[in-house]
Parts: sequence; C-alpha cells; structure tokens
Amino acid sequence: MNGLETRRRSTKAILGVMLAVILVLYGFPFVYLLLTSFKTPSEAIAVPPSVMPNVWTLENYVAALAKEGVVPALINSVVTAVLSTLFSLVLAVPAAYAVTRYRTPSGRVFVLAALVTRMVPTIAIGAPLVETMRAMGIGDTSFALAIAHTTISLPLSIWLMASFFEAVPDEIEEAAKMDGASRLGALWRVVLPVVSGGLAVTAIFAFLASWNEFLFALLLTSVRAQTTPIVIANFQTQFGLDWGAMTALAAVYSLPVILLTLVLQRHIVAGLTLGAVKG
Amino acid sequence: MTLRDTSGRVRTASLATALATAGTLALSGCGAGGAAAEDELTVVVEGGGLAELQPIADLYEQETGTTVTLVELPYDGLYDRIQTELGSGSVSFDVAALDAIWLSAFTEGVSPLDDLFTDDVKADLFPGLVSEAQVGGQYVGMPIFTNSEILYYRTDLFEDPQHQADFEAQYGYPLAPPTTWEQYRDAAEFFTMDTDGDGQIDLYGTDVKGAVETEWLATVSQTGEEHMVLDPETGEITIGDAEHLEALDYYTSLLPYAPAGAAQLDWAGAQNLFYQGQLAMMRFWGHAYTQTPADSPVAGQIGAAPMIAGEGGVAGVPGAWYLSVPAAGTKQDLAKDFIAFAYEHNELSMDTSLGLVARISAFESQAGVAGRENYPAILETLNSPATRARPATPQWQEIVDTVLTPMLQKAVEPGADNAALLQEAEAQIEAILE
Repeated sequence: MNGLETRRRSTKAILGVMLAVILVLYGFPFVYLLLTSFKTPSEAIAVPPSVMPNVWTLENYVAALAKEGVVPALINSVVTAVLSTLFSLVLAVPAAYAVTRYRTPSGRVFVLAALVTRMVPTIAIGAPLVETMRAMGIGDTSFALAIAHTTISLPLSIWLMASFFEAVPDEIEEAAKMDGASRLGALWRVVLPVVSGGLAVTAIFAFLASWNEFLFALLLTSVRAQTTPIVIANFQTQFGLDWGAMTALAAVYSLPVILLTLVLQRHIVAGLTLGAVKG
Repeated sequence: MTLRDTSGRVRTASLATALATAGTLALSGCGAGGAAAEDELTVVVEGGGLAELQPIADLYEQETGTTVTLVELPYDGLYDRIQTELGSGSVSFDVAALDAIWLSAFTEGVSPLDDLFTDDVKADLFPGLVSEAQVGGQYVGMPIFTNSEILYYRTDLFEDPQHQADFEAQYGYPLAPPTTWEQYRDAAEFFTMDTDGDGQIDLYGTDVKGAVETEWLATVSQTGEEHMVLDPETGEITIGDAEHLEALDYYTSLLPYAPAGAAQLDWAGAQNLFYQGQLAMMRFWGHAYTQTPADSPVAGQIGAAPMIAGEGGVAGVPGAWYLSVPAAGTKQDLAKDFIAFAYEHNELSMDTSLGLVARISAFESQAGVAGRENYPAILETLNSPATRARPATPQWQEIVDTVLTPMLQKAVEPGADNAALLQEAEAQIEAILE
C-alpha cells in the first residue's frame, strides 16, 4: 500500500468519524425526546437526567392521547398542512416556470420581491391577517390557517421550483412543441415529470413549514382549527411542565413527517441532485 | 430510443390531487373540532387552566343549557393572542382568563365588572386579590383561583431525631420548619451536606431561582416594603431603595446552600430538584403539594408551611387568575352571568389538577382535610398584611422580561454588586415608563 492510498484511507476515516459525530449531535435531541417519552413522570424530570429509561412505560402516550383536543388537533394539522402544500405548489409552479422561461427583468424583480416578503416578521402580519380572515368569515378554520401558512412557504417554494426549472434544458420543451404540444401542455406533460423530484422537495418543504408553524396557529385558531403545535405547547403551563406527555405527543406528531420523508426519499434525492451536472 | 409516455401518470396524479384538494377543502371549512354553535360561550384559558374551569363549565351547561367551550392556549402565547384581539376590536372569545400581571395592560379592552363585586364577594376574597382586580377605579376581573408561594420541607429530614439533636447543638434552638429568614438560612446551611460520604455534596438546603422573579419579589415584601419595584399610583420607582437591597442581599446569601446553576433555575427546575430529593426545603407555588410524582423519593414526606417572614412579616406574591369580559364581546350579559356562576361555584375547582380556588371560604372549608395541608399555608400567606400584589402597571410584563429577570440572573453570579444592579435596574425601569 503506498503513502497516497494510506493518506486517502486516513482522510476517509477522519471524515467518517466527523460525519458520525455530526449525525449523533444532530440526532440526539430527537432520540432523547423519544426516550423521555417512555420514562415514568419522575424519571422524565430527573436531575441529572438519564438517557435511557430505567422503567419503560407507555403511560405518557396514554395521557397525551387521552387529553381533550389532541385527536382533532392532529386531524387539523394534517388538513392544514396538505392544503397549504397544495396552495404553495399550485401558485409556485406557474410563477417559477414563468420567471425561468421568460427571463424578463420584471420576473427577476418578482423573485427577489418574493424572497423579501420572508423578511417581514410573522407577528407583523398576524394581526391584519386575523382581521382579514374574520372579515371574510373564515376565522378559526383550517382553510384560513392554510392560507396564512402559504404566505410562509410560497416565497421559498417559488425559489426552489425556479432552480429546478432552470435545470431543465429548453430543448426538451422545444421538442415537445415540435411534436404539437402547447406551452402549457409541454409544462404539464414534459417539464413537470422531469422535475418531479423537485416537486417532492418543494412539497415536503411546504408541508413542514405548515406542520410545525406556531404563531399563526396561535393567533388564527381557537376551537375548531387548533393544530397540534399549540396543544403540545399547552403542556407547559405557568406553574410547570409535563415533560412526559409533551415528549410523547411530540414523538407522535413527528411520525407522519418521518414516514412522508421516507416514502418520498427517492424523489427527494433525485430533486436535490437535479441540475447538479448541468453543463 | 422510445420516449416514456408520462401522460397517464400525470393524469392519475392530477386526479388524486384534485380529490385531495376537494376533500381537504371540505374538511378545512370548519376544522376537526366541529362548527361553533351560536348560543355557546367561548372562554379562552391558559395551558393547564382548562382543567380548573371544566367542572364549572359543565355545571353551567347543565343548569342553563348554555354550552361553554374552553379554548386552551399556551401561557406564553396567550398574552399575544389576547393583546392582538383586544387591539383589533374583534374578539373570538366571550370570556378570557387573565394572569394577574396582565390586568393593567388589558384594562381598556375589557368591560367593568363592578356590579359583581358586592360587599359579600369582596369579604370572601383575599385583600390582595380585591385590590389587584381593581384597575383605574374599576373592577376588571373576577379571581377564579389564586396561588401563592409557600414553604415546602422534607418531613423525613426535619423529623429525624439525629438531625434534630445535631441542629439544636449547632444553632441553639430546636429544628422545626423555619418561619423567619434567619431560621431558613440556618436550616439551609444545616442540610447542605454529603449524605453518602463520597466527598460530594448531594443534599442542598434550598434552591435559589435566578430565572424567575416572583420569589425575590416576595422577599422584598417580607422586608416590609409596601411598593415592590414601583408605586403605580405616584410613579415612584422604589427598586433602588434599602428594602430592595436588603431583600436581594438575603436572597443571594442563600447561594452557598443551593445547587449550582442558579442563574438558569426556574420553577420547573426547582420543582424537579425537590422531587428528586436534592433539596431539603423549597419555596414554591402552593399547588405543587398535590403534584408530587408517586415514584418520587420524597413522595409522602413533604410538609407545607406558610412562606417565611422577614422584618415585615410573612409575605408571598398572589398568583391569581381572573376572568374578564372583552369590551368588544357580543355576549356581555351571558359572559358576566358565567363569571358570577364561576364565583358562586368556586369550590368545584378544588378537585382539579392544580386544586386551587379563590374564595377564602373555599380554602377554609378544607381545614383539617387530609391531602389539603397546603391550604392553611396558602391561606396564612395570602392573608398576611405584608403580602402584596405586583404593581398594576401596563408595562409590568416588559419590566419583568427585560429588567427584573436579567438583573436577578446577574445577582446570582459570583461577585455581583447588588446595589449597582438595583441602581441599573432603576434606570432601565425609568426608561421603560417614560
């Protein structure tokens, strides 16, 4: 084995160790949350804390899921996130397509302006949104909350989709047009299937933005459309914090997102590498 | 080369998307909680507060036919939500549960409840609560339950004959739950020890909380100070006076008998330490007496006593919650009727998770009842003349967040100059009030 090979192996080993350390640091909070959810109430608050439960119990899950409002909140979260994702995609796809294909100065300004809207603090538009939704008669509905969440996810969805469309050569569309497809037909039948990985990435991003959102959910929902982040936060009261039940519900709440990511994993990888070899 | 025909897949995806959209839109119209009825009352409460009001809401519905929907919101977000709605003049709730310290900030957005505060009602409420409920000459909230810090101590330690003998030999008086600052410090010092002989201290006499301000405010009242931090009537800022310094000096003098990390210690942290058996004593909110985990090493070995006294006497800080009616609400009469009903049936909140009530008669009705040993301690602390409510100023929450808590966190660090910190706090509060 020559020196170069040895060096290469050492570098690989060091990178591997670094990767493992980063992975542990990144994943530990979630693993700890998961383990805490199986601890007894006393062990959950132990000082110093233990990582592994001494006694494994489902007590926290029973308590969390039996709490009034938890199941409707889970349904509301799904409905809101799905709706917000659809809104984001339906609006972001044509916007990003137009910007990347027509390449006009106004399009570039539009994309920049879209991103600037992300710099406005959420709380600043919270009160006007509450007013507007009430005036429209849709206060405390998942529909209203989904619209609010779309304001968060749409700008970055447009940016994401624009970068994916950029990676699709114009020639593919032109070939479709030569075969008789309209521009819309080419987008629908040719371009969108090509960027399906990008669509999956954008959809997951939009879904997560809604799934975890707290402030709009706090301001816009009460009885009918309250989502799970609010219910989870309710475990922290002025006088204490129910760690066990809170971690149990948080673990349950993270499951759909993990499953969704696993199901769409292939598309996500394809989407993330789309355009990586564009020459 | 043959091109794959993707139109079929796109069509399928489009159909699925269309169906999902239709279904989701249908569901989103009302949310999974169901549609709100016209004749129901909506009461917004803090996280954990739902349980306190549920029995009353249930009885109200049973007796009047009016449905009361309790909307639980996280404590940290409730203030923002109510502020947003009261500020917009369009409210989604008919009654709001307000923390005592928010009353003055929301006074302009809520309806007066003067007609509910009859002489009988006032006589059955702690003086501090009656004065706290009145802002700008009007009663703006009816207390639904109140809390106060009391003293918790380990009965297994205090009743141990060896400890009793050692303590008396060392301090010259019998070991008993402390009632004064000096006794508390002595007991804290005494119980700070290495119990397993490994050379490490594993039992501390007390905790010192640096991340929350209320316990220090109670200590200020214990000096006899009549206006903690500031006098809202005159606008005078008192935090720089001798009593505040005396309180801060005493507060931080307990640091040698407390676990490290005081600057970050809050209510939950202190409670955890006590439940783990690492503290011999703890000053904490009265409701915790009934919340000891069954598998805690100190379960069944916890005693409750009134808060300790300084020169001014026993003092705590009332931690009450009030029911208020938003001025923009459309069901004013119904909302007030529910509040009157909640006061009348205040005792129903006893058997809830916090187990707290607001009326003196409700506290007194439990005298001698097993499991309610915390009630006499709460009662005595809240009835003490030195116990005072926090100042009724709209900027109170801001003062707490930006001045008092950071000041305390600095004060519990080694080498802190308490006098300088209080002077700095005085200047900051002056700037906020300007």
